[in-house]
Amino acid sequence: MKIEDVVCTFCGCLCDDLVVEVENNRVISVENGCTLANEKFMGDHRLKSPIRREGNGWKALSYDDAIRETAEILLDADRPLLYGWSGTHGEAQSVGVHLAELLGAVIDNTSTVCHGPSIMAIQEVGHPGCTLGQVKNRADVIVYWGANPIDAHPRHMSRYTTYADGFFVKEAFKERKVIVVDVRKTESSAVADEFVKVERGGDYAILSALRAIVRGKRDLIPKQVAGVTREQLFRVADICINAKFGAIFFGLGLTMSPGKYKNIRNAIELTEELNRHTKFTISPMRGHWNVYGSNEVFTWITGYPYAVDFARGIAFYNPGETTSVDILKRGECDACLVVASDPGAHFPRACAEHLARIPTVQIDPHVNATTHLATLQIPVAVTGIDAEGTAYRMDGVPIRTRKLFDGTYPSDFDILGKIYEQVKEVKGS
Amino acid sequence: MRGILNTGRTIRQGSYVERKNSPAYREEAASLHMNQVDMLDLELEEGSHVRVRSDQGAVVMVARPADGLARGEVFVCLGPYANFLVNPETHGTGMPDFKTTPVTIEPTTEQVPTVREIMERYGGVGYED
Repeated sequence: MKIEDVVCTFCGCLCDDLVVEVENNRVISVENGCTLANEKFMGDHRLKSPIRREGNGWKALSYDDAIRETAEILLDADRPLLYGWSGTHGEAQSVGVHLAELLGAVIDNTSTVCHGPSIMAIQEVGHPGCTLGQVKNRADVIVYWGANPIDAHPRHMSRYTTYADGFFVKEAFKERKVIVVDVRKTESSAVADEFVKVERGGDYAILSALRAIVRGKRDLIPKQVAGVTREQLFRVADICINAKFGAIFFGLGLTMSPGKYKNIRNAIELTEELNRHTKFTISPMRGHWNVYGSNEVFTWITGYPYAVDFARGIAFYNPGETTSVDILKRGECDACLVVASDPGAHFPRACAEHLARIPTVQIDPHVNATTHLATLQIPVAVTGIDAEGTAYRMDGVPIRTRKLFDGTYPSDFDILGKIYEQVKEVKGS
Repeated sequence: MRGILNTGRTIRQGSYVERKNSPAYREEAASLHMNQVDMLDLELEEGSHVRVRSDQGAVVMVARPADGLARGEVFVCLGPYANFLVNPETHGTGMPDFKTTPVTIEPTTEQVPTVREIMERYGGVGYED
């Protein structure tokens, strides 16, 4: 059976034009998808049943036992951490936040090691963003800053920017200027009209220089700024000022580099300066397919987008203190529930080591690095393949993902709902 | 030699991200991309093993030449090999310095550990897929 308009649940682009063929509860072909989508839909490497660590080995156990043991672990803990959430649907995220409140736990999502600093900057100075449809139809200048979409968001350029013809941009490839700013050459910089190669840690200085130029202070700019010549900075500023509609997309090259959220604040303020001359927007290149959704869901329930600490009985948020890496680094949490992410692979060593020391339960369809650190793993259905729910695209547009067939695995929502009920029975409402 | 470790996504890392215990994922995640002149200096060929050390410890990876990197810059895709080396300090932001880890690199004949072996070093118990 061929299913059209399938939503890809890999990256923040949430491409919704895939054609997927399903036979006997298995995906057998994918059309329109990128390499990442093909691997995701065609992959068949699921954990078969819940597993529990016993001494130096592993034993299978039933879903009922795994759910009961997870509830017991969370109830026994003084400072549980509920981490992940970006690889599941909004309905499951919502149960997670309510579970955290009931437990007095810390709940954090993967933005903590992704675009957390972007959110901190947006909280300071706002977010002049727009939907990807606006960019596709209007933007004649695109800036990718510290981002490599060809590797991380392979269809971003063909669906929305460089190669996407739009209503007011009839021949995108000829009419759009593409600027790439990065510390290294990438596949994306190779297709840029202008590649600005910045010295490591020099983004803040380049952003400040561009702000000065846009403000008309060209005489203040030295011959070189962070490895970039004055002439190139003038050229880039002129391309931006003369745009009819410009769109900046930034990645982890800004959020993880020295300066962190101050880099993003400066980039947003450059966008503000450019809006004195023309229309310009700025947006983060969100990585996980529903990391934006985790920020939305956390915010509409607690008021905060990530790193929410319920230990005081109310929601408290303080990046640097209530963020997962800091909590794990300090050895502070005494149990961890990992949902739809892999901190074993993606957190610094010291954090992963703490996960191995405490009871760690992972809810995830696949065996990953965290599996080896965990005490218990519960396999679930994959949202967008055999589970469905709401996701938020990188520009904040909610899109309903679809179930392609009825599989045998429960969804994250089912499992978390049962854990919540058991915790509630002990804790009361 | 001394270098600065940068990390980021690659399409191959993304392709195998749900098969982290596979040889294909290990091949990508344990690849240390380097400037070719630096490789000549260290008498490394493509595929040579190198011990990469930071203030967090040392892990063996595989050297690969890369066009886009200046001397002293090395790149590893995000994953357990890069994160073996990353310091957890976040400077009050919640975000470690994933893009700027000072490292030293030297040739070695030691084997590249599997993802499972790295997690066992952390105190975990390996699960066979």
